Amino acid sequence: MPQQPPTDRTQPQEAGNARPSATSRTAPNGDLSHGYNPEGARHTDSAVPLHRTEPVVHDYRSEGPAPGRIAFRWAHGSNVAAKNRDPRVQVIQYNEDTFVLRQNVCVHWEAPFTYLLFGNAGALLIDAGATANPRYYPLRETVDALITRWEQARGRTSVPLTVALTSGEDVAQNQGVVQFADRARTTIVPTKLAAMQQHYGFSGNWPSRTARIDLGGRVIDVIPAPGTHRDGVCFYDPYCKMLFTGDLLFPGRINISNDGDFVSSLERLQGFAASHPIKWVMGGHIDMMFVPGKYYPRFATYKPYERVLEMAPTLIDDAVAYAREIRGNEKMLIGSDFVLFNGVSPDQRTKVWPEGVPDIDPPRPF
Amino acid sequence: MDRRTFLARNAAVAVVPVALTTFSASAGARSPVRNPIDFKSNLPAPGDFPARWICGSESLMDNTDPPVQVHWYNDHTAILRQNKAYSYEAPFAPLYFGNERVLLLDEGFTTLRNDWDLRAVVDTCIVDWASRNGRDPASLELLVAFSHLHADHYAAVNQFADRPNTRYMGLTHEEMIGFWGMTNFPEERVTLDLGGREILIWGSPGHVVSEFAYYDSYTQILYTGDMFYRGRCYISFWEPWFESMKRLIDFVDTHPVTHVMGCHVEISKDGEDYPYGLTWQPNEAPVQMTVKQLRETYEFAKTITEPGIYFTGTVFLCNQTRSMTTIDVNPYRYS
Repeated sequence: MPQQPPTDRTQPQEAGNARPSATSRTAPNGDLSHGYNPEGARHTDSAVPLHRTEPVVHDYRSEGPAPGRIAFRWAHGSNVAAKNRDPRVQVIQYNEDTFVLRQNVCVHWEAPFTYLLFGNAGALLIDAGATANPRYYPLRETVDALITRWEQARGRTSVPLTVALTSGEDVAQNQGVVQFADRARTTIVPTKLAAMQQHYGFSGNWPSRTARIDLGGRVIDVIPAPGTHRDGVCFYDPYCKMLFTGDLLFPGRINISNDGDFVSSLERLQGFAASHPIKWVMGGHIDMMFVPGKYYPRFATYKPYERVLEMAPTLIDDAVAYAREIRGNEKMLIGSDFVLFNGVSPDQRTKVWPEGVPDIDPPRPF
Repeated sequence: MDRRTFLARNAAVAVVPVALTTFSASAGARSPVRNPIDFKSNLPAPGDFPARWICGSESLMDNTDPPVQVHWYNDHTAILRQNKAYSYEAPFAPLYFGNERVLLLDEGFTTLRNDWDLRAVVDTCIVDWASRNGRDPASLELLVAFSHLHADHYAAVNQFADRPNTRYMGLTHEEMIGFWGMTNFPEERVTLDLGGREILIWGSPGHVVSEFAYYDSYTQILYTGDMFYRGRCYISFWEPWFESMKRLIDFVDTHPVTHVMGCHVEISKDGEDYPYGLTWQPNEAPVQMTVKQLRETYEFAKTITEPGIYFTGTVFLCNQTRSMTTIDVNPYRYS
């Protein structure tokens, strides 16, 4: 019998999918050494019963990350934005209780990601997109349909929804909130800083303490994370072991709004990651290309060479190192997986290239 | 045939007598058109700009404007402007008609005809003009030139590769100045004859090395490319740019100019900077500028001694600031 490879709890091997990226799987035909009945199977509801007599209660407790994949490519705009016919809201089901939504790049160049998480007692929508007009960006309609389908699968009705933002002030994440204003059984976390702090119970202990959103068996941690926004927060999902970081840390051009807060928040995340398993860090946007250190400029509406969304948790350490380097310096700093802008124009350019990182120019699209 | 023979009155090649009558294939021997349009009386020819150009939209995939707005400034002059939902660069492109030739200056930022078919738009304009004026569109030679050597001005050249009766610039400095028969760039001013309609062309480096200024003697519009336009004039080389400005001033001192026109608009009517790459400019300033604005900018430029971004009241002069392309800041900054 072959020796089992050492397992790393923060980067667990998935059955048949040794590497998390859909395009770089090392065992595309499965990996016999993982066995036929891995632990994760208990997280999947069976479709075998024809009629259910009572609502399904899902067990969200899990040792490692719940199984799930981003097995598809993100829509990335088109050369002629006016001719784009991709979905306005792209939905990828990560697993039955976790959805990742992306706004069409040709509806808004920020193309933010929105996350929809379900627990036994409710659903949580993290962020709300960059466009308020539902004709251009029907987020509410899409979320309603996802909730309806989930309710039918779980034999439930009237699942309450919480809409929470990684930053209430960020117009690339808060515009869609208005679409939920009149929705029944919906709690919208206030977007103003003081009201948001009061809502979570942060009064007096911001940003040192964390808060919780209980979805019923799936308890989301709310971690204060000012730095790119004064009202920034991160969310941690212990079921998928994902950390949702919004504008604080994402594979793109990170505009630092207060470098002291930025360093402290990343250090806080580093401390959090030391005590909580993290599979992926999930940001709110992608600007980076799949070659290191290269990125799309602001307002780009065609990003065919986009990097994948998910970030390994070790990137938090990289981010802390870069953040400490840039603290107190008004400049930009290029890293392999993100670019930091501190006190300079969001269009700042630099000739300084990170040492040891290959400098690859992807071909120019049309 | 020497590449310069299509330039009229070029002293360097004026060895062929104008009155020579011959049946050779030389350009000068082409039979004159019947009932030629008079492009030399009652100048400047009147014309107007639209009150508002198409300027993108909030959601680009919901944009229903055409890929390019074709505006007839007057009966013999069209100005094309690309839709911002087709490219954020959204350059302007004048199309000048003469009795025997059509000149397209700049092209818009598009490469493939299936993305948007610039050639078909130009052909439609030529057919329209020809039918209005009782001409055969096939008889008109199309010259495709550009203000300067940047992709948003030349990207569509290959759409014209198989178009009959068409000549276009090459994509090197040498081919560009050769296309206009210049041997003393940038000072030399040549006269292009479109058939009764003359275009004056001279060098205007500074934004890039390979750039021209174009003056249409019929509308008296001075087309200044990207070295002077209503937005961020990215000045890569200050001294040559300043010299080019001086040449423009010398020109307007000695020639009547109705409008000064650049290739882009990146500024609002209120002087607000529309940052680089923006695809919706609902309150944008007009593309045309006055001679007074050109003179004011020149006076302002005299005071500039350092690299940096300067607002003259009309344009932003971005003196050697490619590393800082816009003046805007992170709006969420706090202390």
